[in-house]
Amino acid sequence: MLPATTVPLASSGSFLISPNVGLMIWTIVVFLISLFILRKWVFPLIGEALDKRAETIAGDIDAAAALRKDSEKLLAEYRERLHEARGQADEIVKRARTTADAHEQEARTHAQELTAEGKARAEREIAEATRRALAEIRDEVAKLTILAAEKVTRKSLDESDQRRLVEEALGELDFSAIASTAPTDAANN
Amino acid sequence: MSAMAAAPPAGLPTPEHGMSKGRKALLSLVGVWIGGVVVFIILFGFKSHKAPAVVSGVFSPTDEFKLDTWFKLGPVAFNKGVLYLLITVAITIGLMAYIARRLKQRPGRLQVAVEMFYNFTRGMSKENLDNDMQRKYFPLIATIFVFILVSNLIGYIPLPVDSGETFKLFGASIPSFQIYAADTNVAFPLILALGVFVLFTYEGVRHHGPIGYVKSLMPGGIKGPIVGLIFPIEILSNFLRLVSLTVRLWANLLAGHMLIAFMGGELGVLVGDQWVQWLLLPFGVAIYLFEAVLIAGLQAFIFAILTAIYLGGAVESH
Repeated sequence: MLPATTVPLASSGSFLISPNVGLMIWTIVVFLISLFILRKWVFPLIGEALDKRAETIAGDIDAAAALRKDSEKLLAEYRERLHEARGQADEIVKRARTTADAHEQEARTHAQELTAEGKARAEREIAEATRRALAEIRDEVAKLTILAAEKVTRKSLDESDQRRLVEEALGELDFSAIASTAPTDAANN
Repeated sequence: MSAMAAAPPAGLPTPEHGMSKGRKALLSLVGVWIGGVVVFIILFGFKSHKAPAVVSGVFSPTDEFKLDTWFKLGPVAFNKGVLYLLITVAITIGLMAYIARRLKQRPGRLQVAVEMFYNFTRGMSKENLDNDMQRKYFPLIATIFVFILVSNLIGYIPLPVDSGETFKLFGASIPSFQIYAADTNVAFPLILALGVFVLFTYEGVRHHGPIGYVKSLMPGGIKGPIVGLIFPIEILSNFLRLVSLTVRLWANLLAGHMLIAFMGGELGVLVGDQWVQWLLLPFGVAIYLFEAVLIAGLQAFIFAILTAIYLGGAVESH
């Protein structure tokens, strides 16, 4: 008569859908405790930390942007300076080259002048030496002529005779050939 | 010459013969599964061997969700549900307080997870609530989220809490292991949903006034006799929020736990066939993973975001 009630027909499952009032109270109490603690001590800390980090990141980004701006400015400045320096260097090189060219030209001209001068001097000296030699030869010839004449005639000649003899002897000698060849030989040596 | 020909060129992968590793592993698992069914049929046969408790109807698979009172302290009764609530609150507060006390400028993994949760919930609140409401109710929404999430997740850890069934270990009677969650009892979601319902009704009345709030439940632009038809429906749907909020969480968790239990062996016990237990085991594992990975978080999220939406909707002017 009693099987329906004696068999613990939990399989009817009514407890599955009927809320357990005790558990409801437990749930709300436990939940409110969690809410209270999290709200008072946990969430503010996390929120604060996140805000702080966000601020730090924003600050870092700003700082990085400023730094970048500065460095870009500096870079531009350096580039300009470098450009200037390069221009100056070019200018210096150009100037140096011009100066060197000028010096070279000058040295060359100077050398040419010196050479020409030396050549002229040498020519002059040769001409002088030739002239002196010729004079000496002339003197020697005159002496020899007189000596020869005295030996031939066995008498000493007076001054007018001597002069006349020398003039005649020298007149017959052609010195021009010697004078024209001597300087060129000296220059070649 | 032969050695050079035999050695595979360095740096080149050796050519694969046949299937990939994953495929092989999968096929061997399927093989073990089917082989196991055959072994069970050979060992125990096709005939069902129902346990006496099943034959007599004493055993009921739903009994593990029963809340037997373990002990009482005055009027306060302790049972399995209470234990799970206490574990939930201990983990919730413990974890959050642990993180909050050790917040670092360079966060670790756990802190990142908690921060992501916090930001996600704050974003969710901001989307649905204006500034004042957000400041007021963000802690509630976040607590609902984390509280239900933790409660759901510990519900997938097998614990020795089934006081209805015991096993002997070194002579001691120990409650059987089971997976249980406080929200498989309708009391848990119902009281939370009730709380939310009361709060959003309070905010609505505070914002619109009693008459204004009732009027605000009507969609805008409806005039004439049709109001008489629409109005009761809107009132009803407002109350149905309470039901849907409750049932969604509760039914998902209860059905999930039952499915895991059934597929994990209970169905085999009921029909009395050992091979059925083995046959259904992979489905039990699959459902377990699905529930623990997806449903636990999803249901907590849905409850939290609906709270935000209802609170936001209550103070919204049509």
